[in-house]
Amino acid sequence: MTIEQLRAQFPILEEKVYGRQLIYLDNAATSQRPLSVVEKWNQITLKSNANLHRAVHKLAADATAEYENARQAAADFIGAADAHSIVFTSGATAALNLVAFCLGEACIKPGDQIIVSEEEHHSNIVPWQLMAQRKGAVLKVLPVDDNGCLRVDMLDEMLSSGKVRLLSVAHISNVLGIVNPVEEIIAKCHSYGCAVMVDGAQGIVHQKVDVTAMDCDFYAFSGHKLYAAPGTGILYAKPEWLEAFPPYMGGGEMIETVRWSGTTFAKAPHKFEAGTQNISGVPTLVPAFGIATQMREQSIETESVKVKDYIYGALRGDTRIRMFGCPEKPQDKIPLFSFCVQGVHHEDLALILDKMGIAVRSGQMCAEPLMDRFGVTGMLRVSFAPYNTLEEAQQFITALDKAINMLR
Amino acid sequence: MNLEEKKQQVIEDFSMYDEWLDKYEYLIEQGKNLEPFPEESKTEDKLIKGCQSRVWLDCEKKDGKLFFKADSDAIITKGIISLLIDVYSGRTPQEIAEDDFAFLDQIGLKENLSPTRAGGLASMVETIKKKAAEAMAEPEAQPEAEAEVLTAADVKELAPLYENVVLALKQVYDPEIPVNIYDLGLIYEININKEHKVHIRMTFTAPNCPMADYVVNDVKTGVEDVPGITGCEIDLVFEPAWNTSMMTDEARVALNMDFDIEDNSQE
Repeated sequence: MTIEQLRAQFPILEEKVYGRQLIYLDNAATSQRPLSVVEKWNQITLKSNANLHRAVHKLAADATAEYENARQAAADFIGAADAHSIVFTSGATAALNLVAFCLGEACIKPGDQIIVSEEEHHSNIVPWQLMAQRKGAVLKVLPVDDNGCLRVDMLDEMLSSGKVRLLSVAHISNVLGIVNPVEEIIAKCHSYGCAVMVDGAQGIVHQKVDVTAMDCDFYAFSGHKLYAAPGTGILYAKPEWLEAFPPYMGGGEMIETVRWSGTTFAKAPHKFEAGTQNISGVPTLVPAFGIATQMREQSIETESVKVKDYIYGALRGDTRIRMFGCPEKPQDKIPLFSFCVQGVHHEDLALILDKMGIAVRSGQMCAEPLMDRFGVTGMLRVSFAPYNTLEEAQQFITALDKAINMLR
Repeated sequence: MNLEEKKQQVIEDFSMYDEWLDKYEYLIEQGKNLEPFPEESKTEDKLIKGCQSRVWLDCEKKDGKLFFKADSDAIITKGIISLLIDVYSGRTPQEIAEDDFAFLDQIGLKENLSPTRAGGLASMVETIKKKAAEAMAEPEAQPEAEAEVLTAADVKELAPLYENVVLALKQVYDPEIPVNIYDLGLIYEININKEHKVHIRMTFTAPNCPMADYVVNDVKTGVEDVPGITGCEIDLVFEPAWNTSMMTDEARVALNMDFDIEDNSQE
């Protein structure tokens, strides 16, 4: 597959904004959708729309098959042994909340500890704060160093209290773009009897994930960052956890029998999927996994690495720019770059770049504690997908220079 | 230049540029014209809420007009607030309050900003309007009623009148409270001028006192009945709000109140 063929799958990339060719560099916020995903949505909506699992009619059977097929595809995509360990949620945030709530109810006692890292997205901070408040648990923070790398060396000391029940960490930070050593972290935590949740919202997009090999207890990600329909999300959990967890939300389809005297619940994963599921969204995960797999082909991969190396070099070589997230080994960096420009406000830059047709992100990126860590009010972030070309990258660098000169 | 002319000028300035990039350059230049905003004045209370970048706005009233000062850490936002100040500074609160700010739509500023910026612009406009409304609500600083100069003889003559006015006030009761309004501390100020007209500033225990009209009427007739008094004017105020510490000790005794009682009327 060539990059041109790949781009042809994403019609939005041909759009013009303010009369200029769009260059979309906000992929870490949400990716664009390929035709195959749109077609799947249309097919379900126009030909087999029905509520799942309940009715006996043909449409319901078709829709249910599509939905459960996506569950198997998700298990395959992340190397889960059993499709029953896949819970569909509305996104990574919902998956994180589910685990925080259920773990809290199942086994957190006052004085227990939870660890999150300093580089986490708010979605991987707030659910644990809420749970800790409710259960009298203590939230501890694993710091990052000045380069944006996790202080894994501090883990032993933090875990040695024997009170840490779970550590939740991003596979890749949405601000720093560094692949964290999750295997090492997981092995270490398990040796202290501490479970590990991995927030894979960015990780699933840029890494081949095998949850079995990784041995994480939980892995969460959103469909919309991986080219699928928004409102889709996946929680992978080891079966014994899903078994031990009480229900999260009550409602339709998560029950076995309901009597006034009490209710018994369906088995996992349905126990955690109360209410009408995302009937038309979830099946789009299948073509989304398909295109994500194609993007890992050598021809595309080579192009992506070129783009990454070019931008990384250009930004780091610019003395006006302060870059956040510079790992020792460049292969640990994904094509996601957050930076500040000396004497220029990130928001001004984003506004000027927008008028040049370039979509970037400015602000705190839902990671205020990390902004505080580096002493900034916000950053500018550009995040590339495999459909972004080297030419686009070069145009961005030229436009950035022009914008900086306008503002200084 | 009056407000309308000024707005027209901005619209014309903006129309000279076709490209939004050029309009931004214009805004950036505008921002540079802002007079410096002292660092020590960049306090939390001057921050405009709802902006992603930080914007400080300060307002001063001089000769019946409002003068604004502002700053922002983002340069385009600074340009935008500077544009607003350029148009609205030096106008009367009335002019600002009655203005529809429609010229912002005419120059297309709102729809060409990102939603967060547009929200910020709306907050800036909101804040300027609020400042105008506040300035209108403030009572005009009364030019001190030709500060009457009283001679020693005047004071000597007026002194017994004061005593008699107080005696009259001590005859007035809120029917619901067994203590007269003077000892209750409802009378904030008594002034008698050379024409022997009395001016009283008073309050009630609560703004929604059902007996207010009745009591005010009693005060007026009571005071006007004092021999030598030619008239009585009453200003009803609720600032400062009345509280139990304003009562005389006699009133406390009459109401069986503990002398050490904590002032809890504010709660």
